[in-house]
Amino acid sequence: MLSLINTACRVRKCPGMRILLACSIFLPAAYAQEARLIVPSSVIAGNSTSIATSGSGSATFYLVGPATAVKREVELGQSIVLKPSDVRTAGRYEGIVCTSSCSSAQFYVAPSKAVSLTFLVHPSRVATGQADAISGVAIPFDEFHNMVLAATSVEFQLTSKGVSPVTPHAQSLGGILWFRGSSSKAAGAVEISASLQGTTTKRIVQQVAAEPCNLRIKGQRNAKGVLVETDPIHDCLGNPVPDGTVVTFTAKSGDEVSTVDAPVKQDIARAQLAATKATVISAASGVVMGNELRVGAQE
Amino acid sequence: MSDSNKIEGRSSRIECRSVLILVVAVLALGFSSAAAAPDIQVALNVSKASPRAVEPLTERSILRDYKFAWVNLSQALASSSTDPLNGLFEGSARQWLSDAVTSERSSGLTTRYMNQSHSLEVVFYAPEGDVMELHDIAQFDLEILDGDKSVHTEHAVARYVVLMTPGADHWVIRQLQSVPEF
Repeated sequence: MLSLINTACRVRKCPGMRILLACSIFLPAAYAQEARLIVPSSVIAGNSTSIATSGSGSATFYLVGPATAVKREVELGQSIVLKPSDVRTAGRYEGIVCTSSCSSAQFYVAPSKAVSLTFLVHPSRVATGQADAISGVAIPFDEFHNMVLAATSVEFQLTSKGVSPVTPHAQSLGGILWFRGSSSKAAGAVEISASLQGTTTKRIVQQVAAEPCNLRIKGQRNAKGVLVETDPIHDCLGNPVPDGTVVTFTAKSGDEVSTVDAPVKQDIARAQLAATKATVISAASGVVMGNELRVGAQE
Repeated sequence: MSDSNKIEGRSSRIECRSVLILVVAVLALGFSSAAAAPDIQVALNVSKASPRAVEPLTERSILRDYKFAWVNLSQALASSSTDPLNGLFEGSARQWLSDAVTSERSSGLTTRYMNQSHSLEVVFYAPEGDVMELHDIAQFDLEILDGDKSVHTEHAVARYVVLMTPGADHWVIRQLQSVPEF
């Protein structure tokens, strides 16, 4: 090509002119092949989209995203179609097109609408009548498991037997919705639900009686000593304490002290104390103390 | 040239050659160690954590585990292998990264993250401590290669929404989602 320029323009004695003419031939050709990508301003996950290109000729196109790495041959000047599977994952994407050199453009894929929730509730068992004892966290996701960060309306509800459903106040932080709720006065299962656009996710929390309240004992001498038993044990809200709750009976007779741990069975705890002398008997469960029972010596 | 001058000249050449070999060896060691262990800086701010405050031990664990996670992520993408991902990624995060590695392997591409710095902030810590959301403003030198040919390099600033949950003895990343802004 340069020899042709030399012959045509007789520029052997003028090298500057040769360079200028070479540039005027080669540069427009190179400039004509330069590729550019024009990416869409917004892309929703799972939706097909296209990237416009400028330039002419063949090029190699790369798409690198959070879960994607695509390489294909394309024709410049035509749009590059991205399939839904190419842009399924929300995040930052790098589009690159290479001929003799490479150029690139970035775009973001946003999550589509929320269709499911990850719903965490704690605890699995809670005492009755406790303020802010139950907490729940809900995280919305779209169908491609992208976290939906835009404001999402989720309704929480606490439903227990014999009580009107309670809708706790939900707060949103960084796309996550959460609430705190109180346990009701009645023991039993409470159903906690989170509803998103007609889809409801449910969790169960078991409400159990709180600490025993008003512990009362009565006793009777028998051949073996003293048989002591409690009145039916309830918490302060009237819920019977669960079977297995331990009641400690203590017998003091002079300098002698003996204790017996007895589990609650069907609301009542019983114990046989081997006390032959005059004895003072007391009972305790958790942090609750019961009345004292004075029993005379065995005849 | 006298014999003594010849001897002196030979000695100085030997010395120069020894110094040169030493310098090359030190440089080679430096490069190899840099390639083996990516340089990653992580800073964590827990002052805005809500509704639960982040405990000091948890803060140290998050810092440690998040840094190791990015070390593993970088190694996985640079080596086109999912092996480094074991343990610190679960759920969607692990699936996406596995898909990325698989795609890269089939396309002949590799991605390198270098000179990383992460500015982490806790924005949500669940009342029972079982899930945490963090925002990460990450800066890194990104290079994408097609075989041995570099097709893209940039100094990138990326924003990530991160979900982490506690595992048996460390925290794991369950969601690592880049966003244009928080």
